Amino acid sequence: MRYNQFIRHLGNMNIKNTFGVMLLFSICMMSCQDPYFPTTLESEQEIVVEGYVEAGASANPTFVLVTRSIPFIGKVTSEKLASLFVKDAVVVVNDGQKDVILNKLCLSEIPPELRAQAYELLGFNPDSVTLDLCIYVDALNSINRKEGGKYDLTVKVGDKTLTASTTIPRFVGLDSFDFRPTPGVPIDTLSQLFCQINDPGNSIDYYRYFTATEGNGLIAPFSSVTNDLFFNGKKFEFPIAKAQRRGQGGDFDPSTFGMFRRGDTITIKWCTLDRAHFDFWNTRDFSSNNGGPFGSYTRIITNIKGGLGIWGGYSVGEYELIVPK
Amino acid sequence: MQVFSTIKLVRVLTFITIVLVVFSSISSVQAQKFTLNGYVKDASTGETVIGALVFVSSNPSLSAVTNTYGFYSITLPEGTYRMKYSYIGYADQEFEVLLNKNTDLSVELSEGVLMEEVVISSSKDEKKRNIEGTQMGTITLPVENIKKLPAIFGEVDVLKAIQLLPGVLSAGEGTSGFYVRGGGPDQNLVLLDEALVYNSGHLLGFFSVFNADAIKNTTLITGGIPANFGGRLSSVLDIQMKEGNNQGYEVEGGIGLISSRLTVQGPIQKDKSSFVISGRRTYILDLLQPALKGGDFEGTNYYFYDLNTKWNYRFSDKNRLYFSGYFGNDVLKLNQPKRDFTFSLPYGNKTGTLRWNHLFSQKMFMNVSAIYNDYKFEIDGGQADFNFKVFSGVKDWNLKVDFENYYNTNHTFKFGLNYTYHTLTPNTASASNGEVDFKTEFEPKYANEYAAYFLDDMKLGGKWALNSGLRLSAFQQVGPYTSKISGERFGKFDTAKLYGSIEPRVNLNYKATSRMSIKAGIAYTTQYIHLVSNSSSTLPADVWVPSTEIVKPQRGVQYSIGWFRNFLDDNYETSIETYYKDLRNQIDYSDSYVNDIRTEVEDAFVYGKGRAYGLELFIKKSRGKLNGWIGYSLSKTERSFTGIEDGRWYPAVYDRPHDFSLVANYKLSKKWDLGLIGIYGSGKLYTPIRGFFLVEQNLNLFYGPRNSNRLDAYHRMDISATYTPKPSGKRRYAGSWNFSVYNVYNRKNPFFISFDTKTNSETGSSEIEGTKVTLFPIIPSITYNFKWNQK
Repeated sequence: MRYNQFIRHLGNMNIKNTFGVMLLFSICMMSCQDPYFPTTLESEQEIVVEGYVEAGASANPTFVLVTRSIPFIGKVTSEKLASLFVKDAVVVVNDGQKDVILNKLCLSEIPPELRAQAYELLGFNPDSVTLDLCIYVDALNSINRKEGGKYDLTVKVGDKTLTASTTIPRFVGLDSFDFRPTPGVPIDTLSQLFCQINDPGNSIDYYRYFTATEGNGLIAPFSSVTNDLFFNGKKFEFPIAKAQRRGQGGDFDPSTFGMFRRGDTITIKWCTLDRAHFDFWNTRDFSSNNGGPFGSYTRIITNIKGGLGIWGGYSVGEYELIVPK
Repeated sequence: MQVFSTIKLVRVLTFITIVLVVFSSISSVQAQKFTLNGYVKDASTGETVIGALVFVSSNPSLSAVTNTYGFYSITLPEGTYRMKYSYIGYADQEFEVLLNKNTDLSVELSEGVLMEEVVISSSKDEKKRNIEGTQMGTITLPVENIKKLPAIFGEVDVLKAIQLLPGVLSAGEGTSGFYVRGGGPDQNLVLLDEALVYNSGHLLGFFSVFNADAIKNTTLITGGIPANFGGRLSSVLDIQMKEGNNQGYEVEGGIGLISSRLTVQGPIQKDKSSFVISGRRTYILDLLQPALKGGDFEGTNYYFYDLNTKWNYRFSDKNRLYFSGYFGNDVLKLNQPKRDFTFSLPYGNKTGTLRWNHLFSQKMFMNVSAIYNDYKFEIDGGQADFNFKVFSGVKDWNLKVDFENYYNTNHTFKFGLNYTYHTLTPNTASASNGEVDFKTEFEPKYANEYAAYFLDDMKLGGKWALNSGLRLSAFQQVGPYTSKISGERFGKFDTAKLYGSIEPRVNLNYKATSRMSIKAGIAYTTQYIHLVSNSSSTLPADVWVPSTEIVKPQRGVQYSIGWFRNFLDDNYETSIETYYKDLRNQIDYSDSYVNDIRTEVEDAFVYGKGRAYGLELFIKKSRGKLNGWIGYSLSKTERSFTGIEDGRWYPAVYDRPHDFSLVANYKLSKKWDLGLIGIYGSGKLYTPIRGFFLVEQNLNLFYGPRNSNRLDAYHRMDISATYTPKPSGKRRYAGSWNFSVYNVYNRKNPFFISFDTKTNSETGSSEIEGTKVTLFPIIPSITYNFKWNQK
């Protein structure tokens, strides 16, 4: 039980899951499970936008992915995934002064040594993916990215136009880090990371973080965002969990979950984001652990008009740490 | 403006109440008629009988019905009458009464005993009650009838029995939660000896908090709630506890698979005072404790218990005092000593009711009640230095006075006043890690709720009868409170927000023939305290919230009309009822609600409206070797919220167009009783997944319209057999075995469905799997029940 998990999901995950445990305790011998196939819905594919505009010393270049949604089906293969990428979109970002047309970049067209980097930037595991996908990127870095900036996005696919708007808020960085033994009976190969933040008090700040270990790609944890409702204007200490790729159930072990391996070199990417951007991740994170007997659906809040997905601004900072042996 | 006039009206009504009391006392002296009054009791236990019919044999329309305390009063011109006392399951009593002065006559009825396979049946006129009465959508279930029904794990459950009535839907497989005529689970007024029960379920609602051994009577009102009840929109479930045998000591109990029960009752002073104490506890995980010792989960346990008690003292024929209490708790403890992890989740209700019955005159009955109730929910947990706690609850102090005036055989008046002081604690969370402390700073909310009512149940002469009433209510949110809108600080008892309501209730009965009547009713209702759940079912963690400057009171109006007809010598009662309900200020969470302990739930609410309409058929046979009922309802329930899909009308989660139930009991022989339950209902609604979209290399779900898909239909059959080896009623010790089989044909009813996405980054493929979870397969159970009495 860790702070951020507690704070973020007490109402949801813990209480409901506890009831789930109660239920299982009392009736698991009896309940039974069968595969369920819902009546398929006739649905038009939606256009999905995923794009980020970042400011800060370690900011990524601005890029946008344009895909189509997948109707309910059993299995999605990598070929299927690749076919979702829209290759004929027109993507324009306005930074308040000028329109910048993003350049289409298909990964099959770039040198192999750069490809791995590109996959990583997009959040794919570079060792395993051989997708030929196309992204839209501000290759010449023409967009003026700065704290307080507002960025309007227009995506045209065929006769459809999608729009969105985001901002890059002020940056609030982390102050200090502290590695501690794991709770309960300590495990001598693992360590728990705590960090401190000095939250400015005059307005609500929204935060998101990613972790990476041993040079692997940055991943956001299951519960990746928070606001400062609990610690507005305070010096606040909280644990940072090592993020794990989603959808890889099976290797989840509650006693080692979120702990860093001693001796590893790790990277923490710490971001501030605006309210709409926060709402997207907050509802996304919540919706993905809201199942079970008492769960209800959560509609992910999008800031894309005319489609799904997210157009998000970040102020970013990166910290490289070595976990003491 | 309306609010202030309401407060004034409450004052005026208080004044009228006093005038009525005085007037009624005088009028009884003036009349050239005389009053016969008294109590109707069970001959063997001295328990008062609720709802017994008292009437003149030669003219059954001159009648009265005993009230909640077994009291009756009937005023007739001077003369000699043959009076008849009748109640289902009891042998009739008949007396010649010379009425030349006001007369006290308390009557004892004996339970109908089996005589050569023929059950003594109650009077025909008693059977016609559903034709004569003005009340619609009202059903009384004596607990003895409920005990004969098949029960899951052998646990007799009042709330599951009422789910078998038309217009009442189960909130889900195995749960005691229920929805009435398209209303939400919080819109039912659940009363135990007048005390409001905020959480009526144990173990997530799989068992109700009502221990059947302690209960005497259950009445459910689904249509045309009379003016003496208020505060909820949809229904009243009025449960009365036993008073205790005042003739001799009695011990009763049962040993079941899940829990065991024990009830002790007896006289404190014979004929004058008695008590009953009844307890129940589960123990299945207690038995596992030795096995958990030394393991990873040492100390992990779950149990619930209930304790009911009632004491009464009769000072005189005119004064009687009652105390009833209920204490119940669920306790869950999860321990993992090796991880230094503890988690405990206790929650439960406490209620206490002190009542004083007073007879001002033969016609004027008064009851004063002081009621306390308290519902608490808590979570405590921690790991190493880190500890957290979440707490929420409701506490009420309630004072009420109710008068019943049996003015003459054509008019029965009821009027009264009610005051409640509410304290509602929203989810309060705190966490500490060594020296650092965090706490949500939500204050409890305080409110005064007032109500005054007047109703007249009258026979208009000829074929018409009218039950008309008016309820005035007001709700005053008081400090300490800081306005979220203006920032203004309200001190203790300062008014932060005031709401008022005028609630007329009218039921009209046209008795076309002695066996057929048509009834119609309109009821306006207001609800000031709300429970909103974002789950598919309500949970004990859901928080009750009061009306505030932000949350408006829910309002509803129900129009109903019904046709009532008895067949075959009044042995079969049938009815067809239809209703339309209009609901305002309905509350829900938005589609994108994220449950966050740091925000108050009221800040996440969206508001809208609702409508429900339906048709209910009911056929009931109360007497004979074979008895039971068949109920069917056809209904539609919709909601519209501006914050959900732009106000589109969508089917509410309680919408189940078809609901059918069959309940039958058959007395096979002196030793064997058989029971059967059959249920068929439309499947539950859910919001379907429309598809997936890719963000950060993960598949994320997006959904179709709210509640636009339905799970498979729910159906099931349960059977039971009760074996009483030595059925003679004269024995001091009697035991019986109950064998029940739940879900006889092992129907796999869907409990819920879930979807999981599994991404395999090695192959770059993702799998989406849907799972249907079924809860209860065929479940046989056995319970031993015993009874000892002093005799």
